[in-house]
Amino acid sequence: MNQRAHATTVLAKRRIFETLISPGYYIAQTIGLVLAYLLVAGFVRAIDSSGFNYSLNPAYELIGRSLVGAFGATFVEKLFSEGPFLFTLYIAFLPVLLYLAVSSVFRFGLEKKVGALELLTYGPADGTSYFLAALIKDILMTAIYLVVLLVFLLIAGIANNLILGPSFYYSLIILFFLSITIYAYGIFASSLTDNSASAIAVFLGLLLFFIIIVMGSFTVVSGYVRNLTSVFAWIIKWISPLFYWDLALRVVEVGNWGMYFTGIALLLVLSAVVLFISHLTIKARGVRS
Amino acid sequence: MKVQRLAAALLLLLCAGVLFADVPVRTEQFIYSILAFNGKDYAGTFAREEADTIYLVADVDNFITVRNVFVYFWPITQDWKTDTSTLNVPFQGTLELGGREAEPQRLGMTPYTYYNIRGEYELNWKVAKEQEAEAAWQHYQELMDAYWKSVSAYYEKRAMYEAMLNELTVTITRMRDQGQEVTPLIDTLKELKAPPEPQYPSEYIVPPVPIQKAFILNLPVGEYKIRFFTEDGRIMEGSERRIVAFEKRRAEAIGLEVIPGDKWTRPVESKTPASVLYIDGSTDLYLRPFFQQEYNDLFYEKMRKNDAKGNPTLMKWVRIQQVPQARVEVSRPSSESQMILEEPFYVEQVKGAALGYQIVPFDPEGKHKDREPSLQAFHVSISEDQRVIRLRVQDKEGQYLPTSERQIRVVKPSRIGIISLILAALPLVVMIIVMARRSRRYTS
Repeated sequence: MNQRAHATTVLAKRRIFETLISPGYYIAQTIGLVLAYLLVAGFVRAIDSSGFNYSLNPAYELIGRSLVGAFGATFVEKLFSEGPFLFTLYIAFLPVLLYLAVSSVFRFGLEKKVGALELLTYGPADGTSYFLAALIKDILMTAIYLVVLLVFLLIAGIANNLILGPSFYYSLIILFFLSITIYAYGIFASSLTDNSASAIAVFLGLLLFFIIIVMGSFTVVSGYVRNLTSVFAWIIKWISPLFYWDLALRVVEVGNWGMYFTGIALLLVLSAVVLFISHLTIKARGVRS
Repeated sequence: MKVQRLAAALLLLLCAGVLFADVPVRTEQFIYSILAFNGKDYAGTFAREEADTIYLVADVDNFITVRNVFVYFWPITQDWKTDTSTLNVPFQGTLELGGREAEPQRLGMTPYTYYNIRGEYELNWKVAKEQEAEAAWQHYQELMDAYWKSVSAYYEKRAMYEAMLNELTVTITRMRDQGQEVTPLIDTLKELKAPPEPQYPSEYIVPPVPIQKAFILNLPVGEYKIRFFTEDGRIMEGSERRIVAFEKRRAEAIGLEVIPGDKWTRPVESKTPASVLYIDGSTDLYLRPFFQQEYNDLFYEKMRKNDAKGNPTLMKWVRIQQVPQARVEVSRPSSESQMILEEPFYVEQVKGAALGYQIVPFDPEGKHKDREPSLQAFHVSISEDQRVIRLRVQDKEGQYLPTSERQIRVVKPSRIGIISLILAALPLVVMIIVMARRSRRYTS
């Protein structure tokens, strides 16, 4: 066990170092921050004497109309009631989340394919310590980016006389834990498959499936489509990280902090379960492709 | 020649196609006509054949009737409508209501009326059934009869007054022309007063509606099933529906209606303390605090209009009624808190090419004489220098109302916005430094 922990630490340090010296992480961060800048600047330009009016900014008009069409006016009203930051947080977080998750999945598949992972396991490391190291790297890089994003948005807020509302902070915290579960699913997809392409396909397929299920329950479409997604959601929701994310945000809206932290704990439990299944899969299938 | 005639006929046919607009297809349908209480008012909707569920607020009286009407889709407003002018056949019978746990019960039609009486609050809705409905309707009729009698008496007195006025004026003119003394007559003319106009009965905000018969559903929260039985005891085909009785999740919260001084027709609502009102500071604001309740978005929208869309996973705040005799505390960073009171205002159209409206203080003695104020609101002056204004609402006893805190922030596009863009590019700068250092290390 100690040997595995040591191997995990060494591998994690190496992976973090490699991430910091390669351009991908910085580019993903820049994309996220530039998107955040554009969204905040657009919001400021869409304010008139009666408040935020998304029709004043072409980009926001497109976003607003699309969101109203898909999720209804109440959704959009809630999304922007505290300012632009809640929407900005999710949009600006997406590039880094996808970069970290997909790059880890890709590398896992690649190293499995070329035999690098097998080589590692001849030493003190095993498949589990390898994926735990990747997870630690992803968690740390996510935390760094969330701090950078928070500081950036605080500065943008001060510059424009905007404030980050409570929903923003609730979402910021839960996003961190949500990303851990998403990375765990990335590891699970990698452990199931033999190469990078199929690992990425399985991972993105899973992610898309969870998104469609949660979006289906949010849409304003009536009748058959919603009923179908409701049935699917009821069956699938227990394994979807987005269900616990939604649950936590929904309960904290009415001040139920206990359930909010339960939602976070459930996300961690789900991550642990997915990682344990990945561990068993690797143990059963080995690290050779 | 024949070809020309044919072409002309074809052209005419084409024109006919262009000229005659599409007439919506009307289909005869069995519908449930619903008069539902929405937390603040009674509003009508209907459930057509395709609608499998009726949504009602729990623990209040809702009225349902069944009828055959023409139903059509109106593309301009994108909703379904009934054409009752051509076909409107109400059915008599009984309604079977069944819950998940309870045994089905048969409901008969009950005569009813509903009305809203004037009180401290806007909402004092009463539902009167059977004998009580008769009494309420009778009382209203008596009030109206008395009013119309007093109106009739007023017109008689007014006619007499005007005749007397006319007679006196003619007499004074004639006597003056003849050089006679008219002072006593002028004094009489001055003393002559027009009879007072009778006041419309003020007992009701909404008077009782004429007595009608309906199935009255006052259901606890839950899901139910209904079907309609005709007078001969047969089940009406296609009358099965599900009923969802829902309740508010939260109540007694405070919302603020915000009317900008230059956009009287475009008020906005601030519904939670966390919601911030960002404005450009170009005009003053007029506020109206109101009580609000929180409902499921889908259920509430469907209750108001059965074919409406809504989001089943979201809750929405619904404005119920204005907070009576409230006061608003306004805090600005550079000055002490100020308590503002509700005042009457008048909306004037802006003259000239600018168009639009402006809100001005109501002047009952001056230029707004004999007019009613356009709105009663709390005036909050806004200036671009004061970038944050905090508000809190007090009730008539001076107690701060929970969830009434709000922030108004004056936002202007920042000159230092470009710094944010530079900051956004900072990771790229870090990347260049890291890569340059590593490149230097390996090349040396």
